[in-house]
Amino acid sequence: MLRYLRMFRAFASTEFQFEMEYRGNFYLSILEMFLVIGTSIAAVLVMFGHTTTINGWTLPQMIVLLGVYYLIQGGVNLVFSPSFERLMEHVRVGTLDFHLLKPVNAQFLVSTRHLRVVRSADLLLGLVVVIVGLVQVGEQVGFAQALLFALSLVFGVMLVYSLLLGLVTLSFWFVRVENLLAIFWAFTEAGRFPVDVYPLWLRVSLSTIVPIGIAVTAPANAIAGRMDWIGLALLGAGTVLAVGIASALWRKGLQSYTGASA
Amino acid sequence: MIRIYRQLLVAQIQAAAQYRIQAVLWMLFSIIRPVIFLAAWTAVSSAQGGSVGGYSTADFAAYYIAMTIVGHLTTAWNSFEFEFEIRQGRLSPKLLRPLHPLHYAVVENLIWKATTFLPLLIVCAVVALTFRVEWHGEWWHLALFVPSILLAIALAFMLGWVIATATFWLQRINTVNTLMQRVGFMFAGQIAPLALMPIWMQVVAYSLPFAYILAIPAEILRGGVTLERGLIYLVGQAVWLGLAIVAYRFAWRAGLREYSAVGA
Repeated sequence: MLRYLRMFRAFASTEFQFEMEYRGNFYLSILEMFLVIGTSIAAVLVMFGHTTTINGWTLPQMIVLLGVYYLIQGGVNLVFSPSFERLMEHVRVGTLDFHLLKPVNAQFLVSTRHLRVVRSADLLLGLVVVIVGLVQVGEQVGFAQALLFALSLVFGVMLVYSLLLGLVTLSFWFVRVENLLAIFWAFTEAGRFPVDVYPLWLRVSLSTIVPIGIAVTAPANAIAGRMDWIGLALLGAGTVLAVGIASALWRKGLQSYTGASA
Repeated sequence: MIRIYRQLLVAQIQAAAQYRIQAVLWMLFSIIRPVIFLAAWTAVSSAQGGSVGGYSTADFAAYYIAMTIVGHLTTAWNSFEFEFEIRQGRLSPKLLRPLHPLHYAVVENLIWKATTFLPLLIVCAVVALTFRVEWHGEWWHLALFVPSILLAIALAFMLGWVIATATFWLQRINTVNTLMQRVGFMFAGQIAPLALMPIWMQVVAYSLPFAYILAIPAEILRGGVTLERGLIYLVGQAVWLGLAIVAYRFAWRAGLREYSAVGA
């Protein structure tokens, strides 16, 4: 375990050095994120100019939700999506061989090898938004609630991770899966509102096909005091199941990988 | 010119036929955001007893479905592609041809819209059913919509090219694109119908070009404007289109002088 953490640190530091070669770009990306989050909050404010609750969600709770949305997006964009982008390329070109030869867990390597370090700014901003929302909520957030929040956040990220891994694994059979990922990204935008505002057909597709709905709504629910330990246990069980299925699929896919020269 | 366009059309249809599924998938991007905001506004409206500031739940549905159609028809991606073309050295051979690069983009754009329009309408019909849409327009709304959407399509396209020319000076225009997208997100009527925004936002929205691309044709299509208002909007659209064309001609000529032809 410690070995893997050390390895991850090495990945992060090399990628950071790489990114700092394009310093201007680095700062502009951070600026862009301010713009994106700022306008998203403005959109919510416009809505709450006409109402005090949306489906039982108050403005501060909604801000927390928005923060969680950017936290999860930031986390996924920080590690998983850059790594998976390279993975698809490796499968297509056949250079995955080099990864498979290394004496580490291949799934760990392909999931974490590449980072977009600048996206950790999104994590930070998301966290700030969550905290601002929390201050507005006003009520004391107890230790139990905070724990529920943190755990459901981790589960949420893992849910999204397992879906991404599953989608990317399909590239062993279909080679070009960028389009599936494009749909995934299109649907993630729905995470900016609580999943319960959507009509049934969209909710079903959001929560089953694209778990971003659950991933974002669950931690926000925890803060709003609408989540209990049973809910968390269910979420945890679902997450473990999803990760299990995704890595089983990954191993299956790996078997049908034929390599570059084979 | 007509003959050239016919040839380009044929070539582009053949090229597009190879990426049918891709084309339909990209269509999802046109649908998802309006549906998200429609769902949210429906929730707001039901929290307020069925209507917000003169918009009933059914009106929201009509507005956002109109918005989906308008948004799809006014999609323009040249500001995203142009940077790539320059960096890869693909612009230089295009410049050598007797036909301006703009024309290739026009054809590519129109073909994509033509081929994805029917699937889009089907999805819109599903959304319309689930959200119980009502249309309260007159026949002249539809008549007014035709010039309005044509102006909007041209404006969006030309505006995209104006932004694209910034690449000549800046090399990377990611940030410019994000800025434009987010300003559009705020002020084009995506997050709310213009009438529901705070007054200062309405003022900004009506003085920027983005609302003339999305909100205004959508309001006309849903039947939410008086005839006089509609005609004034058309004039506004025409003015913005004129400005965009002038800006484009100026920027393109100046930009080409700046162009250093990567990969040439």
